[in-house]
Amino acid sequence: MDALQGIMTGIQVALSVEGILFVLMGVFVGTFIGMLPGLGPISAIAIMIPITYGMAPTIALVMMAGVYYGAVFGGSTSSILLNAPGISGTVASSFDGYPMAQQGKAGKALAVAAISSFAGGTVSVVLLMLFAPVLASVAVSFGPPAYFALMLMGLTLISSLSECSTIKALISATIGFMVATIGLDGQTGTQRFTFGNPNLFEGIDFLVIALGLFALTEVCTLILNRKDQSLSQNKSIGSLKLSKSDVKEMSGPMSRHSFLGFILGILPGAGATIASFISYVTEKRISKKSHQFGKGSIKGLAAPEASNNAATSGAFVPLLSLGIPGSGTTAVMLGAFMVLGVQPGPLLMSDQPEIFWGIIASMYIGNIFLLIINLPLIPYIARILRIPRPLLISLVIMFSLIGVYSISFNPFDLYLLLICGVLGFVMRLFSFPAPPLILAFILGGMMEQSFRQSLTISNGNLMIFIENPISLALLIVALLSFLVPIIKYFISRKSEDSNETTSL
Amino acid sequence: MLKRINQRIAVVLFVISAGYLIMSYQLPSFAYTAVDADVIPKGLGYLLTMLSIVLYFSKNTETEEQKERRNIPKRDMGGLLTVGGMLFLYIWLFEIIGFVLMTSLFVFFCSLILGYKKHIINALVSIIFSISTYTIFVFLLKIQLPQGILPI
Repeated sequence: MDALQGIMTGIQVALSVEGILFVLMGVFVGTFIGMLPGLGPISAIAIMIPITYGMAPTIALVMMAGVYYGAVFGGSTSSILLNAPGISGTVASSFDGYPMAQQGKAGKALAVAAISSFAGGTVSVVLLMLFAPVLASVAVSFGPPAYFALMLMGLTLISSLSECSTIKALISATIGFMVATIGLDGQTGTQRFTFGNPNLFEGIDFLVIALGLFALTEVCTLILNRKDQSLSQNKSIGSLKLSKSDVKEMSGPMSRHSFLGFILGILPGAGATIASFISYVTEKRISKKSHQFGKGSIKGLAAPEASNNAATSGAFVPLLSLGIPGSGTTAVMLGAFMVLGVQPGPLLMSDQPEIFWGIIASMYIGNIFLLIINLPLIPYIARILRIPRPLLISLVIMFSLIGVYSISFNPFDLYLLLICGVLGFVMRLFSFPAPPLILAFILGGMMEQSFRQSLTISNGNLMIFIENPISLALLIVALLSFLVPIIKYFISRKSEDSNETTSL
Repeated sequence: MLKRINQRIAVVLFVISAGYLIMSYQLPSFAYTAVDADVIPKGLGYLLTMLSIVLYFSKNTETEEQKERRNIPKRDMGGLLTVGGMLFLYIWLFEIIGFVLMTSLFVFFCSLILGYKKHIINALVSIIFSISTYTIFVFLLKIQLPQGILPI
């Protein structure tokens, strides 16, 4: 099936009554949850997974995609209005968005954000439509060694690009992989680390880890900050109207960063957060009015907003065409696919074209819905930010519990959820990043399988990973991403040591 | 020896990795596989051991803000533990007593303990939330939630 025919199939799915209804529901719920302080796309997707049980996979996934980019979109609202980003992907939006809001131009800032996000989202969907099939057709020829190398590269990149120290990120990833080894081994049937407990035979469900590590951990932080009153402020947001000069000012950064964001979104480990920061910094560097940045510059808001939404669609490229998530959020998204019995990857496009193209086509519609929801309705939706924190906390806890219970009907998993919540909180206290853990947990099983398949092919000879040029290249990138921070660290330590000796 | 926080974490991680390795070496082996079930766990165990040693000797790169996160006032810690305890109680009892009753109680008391003072709204929200969730899951999505002692 060629791309044109494919996109027609997709449009049929997306424009069916069900399709439209669930995309609308997805983006609405996504915006809603993304707006809540602390709750980002990972929690939003994880909370919504139980709703999809029993739904047709195509419709369910179209909705989940809507939840994902809706949550990224919603996060910018709390960044702008409260300087409290819902997710890390919208932190850069608060640099100029919040000053604008303080100057009484909150409405304008929200409009700039909504339009830039729309541009970023739409441009990147077009690119996604062009890129994903090409990558999928290349990836069909990938053997187990290349897949293993690809996943390893994803893990080392997400670790070295993490906000915290690389060592801590690598430790998180290793622990995530270790948790993935719990349960019956798929090839030999050996029980691993189950302690004879039948509840652990099938391993730990990813929803337990996702909700525990993200939603419950966020609840702990919310409990600590619950007396923060900034949320209940009742401020008028001002006019949403943009003047001609405003539009002219934002059009440049908007188009540039839609492309940049998409490319950064494809890279494993980068994602919306890094894309938005890089866009903000580059825009500041090339702007003639760089002194206005941080004081309410329209360009400074349009750039990260276009970029983080473009990166969101970009992240779908490896997920749909390789079946490999590049970030914590897409890892949870992969989980949502698996719950519905859909295996994304190079064969998805030919085996289940209605899903592959349906998701892509629905993004066009979803982005239009987002613009419609966000422009006129934002003052009303923003009232959700005034929900009293104690109530919000209790309800989020309940949603997490119901989500886990409805996949396993087993209280044991709820205890595990509680443990994961504590683990996530402790990790946050000692600044260990959580996204590498969830990514490694989801990739762990797949990596082990492709590693063992490779060695079975080569009769136990490790050279198979080096003989294949694709896997060799990927392994080199993985190794570099691992070594560069360490070398940098030693160089900086040496120079500091020499500084100390000279100062003595 | 354990001055820095990283060093203390590193020791904990070292102990975990050692325990994991010991268990990995006790995994039974099979004769007819190229790569047995214990290969990956052993590799992971050694990797964590190595990483914990690197962490032990690495310098603390934490920012002030990250350090600030660990400063939790005792009262807030108490709040966290109370919510944790209530959650434990909820999990323990909700299959016996039933979803609707337990959820209403949990939402009400959890919000109350966290300082929500409008009791009537709180009661309304908790009851409406639990009944509507139960209805959506059981009747619309056909996912059974524990009915407990209530007749429906």
